[in-house]
Amino acid sequence: MNETPRTLYWLALSLVGLVIAIYILFPIFWLFLASFKTQAELAALPISFWPEAPTLDAYKALFSPTHQKGQLLDWPRLIGNSFFIAISSTILVVFFGTLAGYAFARLHFPGRDLILGGLLISRMFQGAALLLPTYRLMSMIGLQDSPIGLVLLYSAFGLPFATWIIASSLREIPRELEESAMMDGASRLQSMALVVLPLATPALITAAMWHFVGAWSEFAFASILLESNENKTVTIGLASFVELFTLEFQFVGAAATIVALPIMLVFFFGQRYFTRGLLAGAVKG
Amino acid sequence: MGSVALRNIRKSYGAVEVLHGIDLDIADGEFTVLVGPSGCGKSTLLRSIAGLETISNGEIALDGAVINKLQPKERNIAMVFQNYALYPHMNVAKNMAFSLRLAKQPKDEIDRKVRDAAEILDLAPLLDRYPRQLSGGQRQRVAMGRAIVRDPEVFLFDEPLSNLDAKLRVQMRAEIKELHQRLKTTTIYVTHDQIEAMTMADKIVVMRGGHVEQIGSPLELYDRPASVFVAGFIGSPAMNFLPAAATGGTLVTKSSVSVGKAPAGVDEGRSVIAGFRPEDLRLADSGMPAKVVVVEPTGAETQLMLRMADGDIVFTTRDRISVGPGDTVHLQIEPGKLHCFDAETEAAIRQDAAGQ
Ligand SMILES: Nc1ncnc2c1ncn2[C@@H]1O[C@H](COP(=O)(O)OP(=O)(O)OP(=O)(O)O)[C@@H](O)[C@H]1O
Ligand SMILES: [Mg+2]
Repeated sequence: MNETPRTLYWLALSLVGLVIAIYILFPIFWLFLASFKTQAELAALPISFWPEAPTLDAYKALFSPTHQKGQLLDWPRLIGNSFFIAISSTILVVFFGTLAGYAFARLHFPGRDLILGGLLISRMFQGAALLLPTYRLMSMIGLQDSPIGLVLLYSAFGLPFATWIIASSLREIPRELEESAMMDGASRLQSMALVVLPLATPALITAAMWHFVGAWSEFAFASILLESNENKTVTIGLASFVELFTLEFQFVGAAATIVALPIMLVFFFGQRYFTRGLLAGAVKG
Repeated sequence: MGSVALRNIRKSYGAVEVLHGIDLDIADGEFTVLVGPSGCGKSTLLRSIAGLETISNGEIALDGAVINKLQPKERNIAMVFQNYALYPHMNVAKNMAFSLRLAKQPKDEIDRKVRDAAEILDLAPLLDRYPRQLSGGQRQRVAMGRAIVRDPEVFLFDEPLSNLDAKLRVQMRAEIKELHQRLKTTTIYVTHDQIEAMTMADKIVVMRGGHVEQIGSPLELYDRPASVFVAGFIGSPAMNFLPAAATGGTLVTKSSVSVGKAPAGVDEGRSVIAGFRPEDLRLADSGMPAKVVVVEPTGAETQLMLRMADGDIVFTTRDRISVGPGDTVHLQIEPGKLHCFDAETEAAIRQDAAGQ
C-alpha cells in the first residue's frame, strides 16, 4: 500500500480546515485578548497582539456596578437574568419535549407523522416576522417586560425542535426493550424512566444544549420585550456596550468573553454525548 | 401451576384479521411449540398471551382465570424475545435483577435469586459485564436468566435461537430443553424450524394463515399428519406427494404408475394426493420406476433425487447403494406408510395410514 497520497490528502484537508478555523476564530480571539489590555495599549500604535501588561481591570469594572455614561450596567444582574431565563426554559423544553417526543415515538394517533413533520417546518419561519405580533400578545397578557414572559416565549419556540430531536432518538430505541420491561413488571411510566430515558440521555443532553445556547444568546425578542434595566439579559448588555464604548474596547472584550463562556463550557462538557453509542449491544450484533 | 387455555382467539390489525379463532389447551408444565411458516401469526398469538397485544375476540385463561384484561405485568408470564431485548445500560446482574427490583423484593433475596439463576445458566463469571460485551449465546442465556429469576407461571419464547449460528443453536436447544426438564415451567415456544419443534416439544401446534392446522405430539404429527400442509412441514426431507386416483383398489398416478393399495374409505375413482416420506421408500425389483437425477451421500445415509413421470421425489436410505445419475430404479413404499389426502381439501383421509 502506498500511503503517501492519503497522507498528502489528509494534510491538505487539515490545512484548509485550519485556515477556516483561524478566519472564524481570530476576531473572537482578538476580542478576548483585548479584554486584558489597558485603554492606552489599545489606542497605541503599532497595534500589539499579546497584552503587554495583562490586567483584569475591565472585568473588575464589569462586576462593580457603576453609572457609566448615564447607564446603570449591572452585569451580575444581567448574567443572573440570562441564566434564569435560559435554564428555566431549558428545563421546560426538555421536560415537555420528552413527554411529547415519547408520544410521537410510541403512541399511535391520527396525523402523528404529519404533526411531527410540521414541528420541523415550524422552525423555518423567520423569527423577525413574529416580533410585532409577539410584542402585542405579551403586552396583552402583561408579560412584556418580564423574564417569565421570555421563559415562556423561548420554551414555545424551542419545544418543536426539541420534541423532534427527542422523538427521533426514541424511535431508534427498540420497542422490545420496553415490552421486556413491561413483562418484567414495569408500568409504562417506569419503563420510560428506567429503560428509555437512560438510553435517550445523549438526545436529551443534545436537546438541552441546543436550547440553552439558543436561549442564552437570543437578542431580538429580548431587546423589544425587556424595557427596565433590572430585567435585561447579557445579550442586551453586550449590544449596549458596543454602542457605549467605541474607544474603551477592553470593556466590550471583557463582556463578550463573559457572555461566550457559558456556551463554551456547555459544548466542552456536552460534546461527548453527541457521539456516545449507548445502544450498542441492545439488539443482535 | 401454569395451565393455559385459549378460546376462539381472534386478532385484527385494522380491517385485516390475522388470527381467525385459535383454540388451544396447554397443561401445566407442558412444553408447547408453535410452528408454522413466516407470517402465520405465531408471534401475534404469543404476544397476545403475554398481554403485549390486545385481542379482538376470545378468552385467554391462566389456571382457569381469564386474564384478557390484565396488563402484561399482572400476568406472571415471562418472555424471551428473539433479539434478547437486554437493557444495554445495565450489566448482567442488573438485567436479571430488574423484575425483582420492580417487585421490591429484599436485597439479599434478589442477590440469591440472581446468583442461583447465574449458576444454572453458567453466567456467574459474567455478572458484571454489559450486554455489548457478550457473545450471542451469552446474551441468549442472560435473556433466559432474566425470565427464570422471576419464577413465572409461564415462559414464552419467540424464536429465541434464530440469531445464533447452526452449531450454537443445537447446543442452546439442548440447554433450553434441559432447563425445562429441571424447572418444569409451562413453556410456549415459537419457531419456524420444524427440527426445533420436533426435538423440543411435548406438544406441537402447527399454524397456517392464522388457523391451527393440527395439534399433537411430535410423533403423532409425523405419523398421522392431518393435512398435506402438516405432512409437508413436519419431517426432513419433506414428504413426497403425487396426485393419484383410486382405480380397481389401487392408487394410480396420471401416468399409470401404481403407488400402492388404495386405503379403505377411498371410493373408486376418487382423486387423492398420495404422500410418502423419503425414508419410507425402499428399492425393489418392481414398483414405481424413477430415474436418478442426483445422488447425495452424507455418510450415515444417502439421499437421492429421483424423477418420475408424475414429478420429482426424494428417497433416503441408510444402505450403501451403487446407482448413479441416469440409472432407473424401482421403488416400493413400506407397508402402511402410504398417506392419502383428499385432492380438493388436502385433508388426510383417515382410515389409518399409519396402519396401526
Ligand atoms: N403491527 C401490525 N400491524 C399490521 N399487521 C401486522 C402487525 N404485526 C403483524 N402483522 C401481520 O400479522 C400477520 C402475523 O404476523 P406474525 O408476526 O404473528 O407472524 P409470525 O408467524 O410470527 O411470522 P415470523 O415467522 O415471520 O415471525 C402477518 O401477516 C403480519 O403482516
Ligand atoms: Mg414472529
